[in-house]
Amino acid sequence: MFLGLRKKSFQRFKKFETKIHELNYLFWECTLRCNLSCLHCGSDCSKDNSTEDMPLADFLSALDTIKSKSDNFTVVITGGEPLIRKDIELCGREIRKHGARWSLVSNGYLYDQQKHISLLNAGLGALTLSLDGLEETHNWLRNTNRSFSKVDTAISLAASSSRLNFDVVTCVNRRNIHELSSIYNYLIGKGVKAWRLFTIVPIGRAKNIPELLLTDFQFKELLDFISLKRKQNSIDLKFSCEGYVGPYELKVRDSFFFCRAGINIGSILIDGSISACPNIDRAFSQGNIYKDNFYELWESRFQPFRDRSWTKKGKCESCSDYWFCQGNGLHNWHNNKKNVLICHHERIQKALEC
Amino acid sequence: MKQNWRRKLLGGLSLTSALFIFQACYGTPHDFGLDIFIEGQVKSEKTDKPVKGIKVSVSDKMQFEYTNEEGKFSFYTETADSYKIIFEDIDSNQNGIFVGKDTLLTNINKTVYLDIVLEEK
Repeated sequence: MFLGLRKKSFQRFKKFETKIHELNYLFWECTLRCNLSCLHCGSDCSKDNSTEDMPLADFLSALDTIKSKSDNFTVVITGGEPLIRKDIELCGREIRKHGARWSLVSNGYLYDQQKHISLLNAGLGALTLSLDGLEETHNWLRNTNRSFSKVDTAISLAASSSRLNFDVVTCVNRRNIHELSSIYNYLIGKGVKAWRLFTIVPIGRAKNIPELLLTDFQFKELLDFISLKRKQNSIDLKFSCEGYVGPYELKVRDSFFFCRAGINIGSILIDGSISACPNIDRAFSQGNIYKDNFYELWESRFQPFRDRSWTKKGKCESCSDYWFCQGNGLHNWHNNKKNVLICHHERIQKALEC
Repeated sequence: MKQNWRRKLLGGLSLTSALFIFQACYGTPHDFGLDIFIEGQVKSEKTDKPVKGIKVSVSDKMQFEYTNEEGKFSFYTETADSYKIIFEDIDSNQNGIFVGKDTLLTNINKTVYLDIVLEEK
């Protein structure tokens, strides 16, 4: 009953957040080029991507449409692999000059000591690095033999900085699920403070490789692992906000599930499209910075993100938890949007029935 | 302001943390802005001209930068009570030879500009 009251309070909080839709978090997909060719890439990024990087000036023009930025407003630079851009430090410095803080998502391959220093000099404040297993498993998923040693260096550097708010993310799959305890010990040994775990969504290249996708039972095993290790409090371990996890809510995260895409999270994608998280189906694009005023559009559109009632169909139509989940993470809606691609709650229920 | 109180109240009733400092699925943690911006220019005492190639660093930190053609430097570094900024000529006689200098900064707000004059050896 007490949990029920908390959930109802949180639901009112979500409604209020949706109503005021303060923009706190702006992704900038600055490039689609990548130095790796990971098996699980949802964006189908590659080394020979011919799409041109977005000019910094174009992004800054869009950023400048936000006249009054919220206190915790931040620009999150993503890709592709952002460090492949030669002007990444300039990008960061200019973002700071334009009144915003910035952070970076990277595979860590190019993150050596020199890069670490130049990024800090440019005002980098937060960083996420991807580590998908111990050496053999990570290199398999990242599709190159040197990837682990590179990210190992990057993790050491990032963990040595008290300036950076830094975490490691791991995409859990059938090959690395049995390594989680070892990765946990490795990260603690490295001095890492925060670790987030994901599952892989069957989109992009990942949909053709069944080994990347956890079984329902393995998914429950993952949540049990997180729940257990969180009690030990050795590292800030959490399940990502990728979906609603029913009985595991608050056991695997600090807060209830809340997909903030289009509510507090916006994005400017490589072609200028304006949307929410970059992993959301591009058909949800709300406009384009080359035609629209970014902030006016943020204020006036984004209805499919702020009124999720359209998601009450398919599996969601008869779900008793819909009132709280509201269609799971929006990146789980693709193509014709007739059904949710992944229902985490359903996976847990199936595993419990086994 | 009124909205912020309402947000905190509604969020607080659900007894969960991380309500306002959240993280997108594929994003980074939030930057709490715990840094300051240090910039300035290094000139020669003898010629009053900018000096290129001077290494500027913060004591006990890995970070450093070199002055450019205009003798200018700028970088962000993490917030502290005081900062010892070190200026070193490490490029031999490539841009002249200068005596190093340390500058102690205290009570810095968010930015500081330093005019540094170095003595030639």
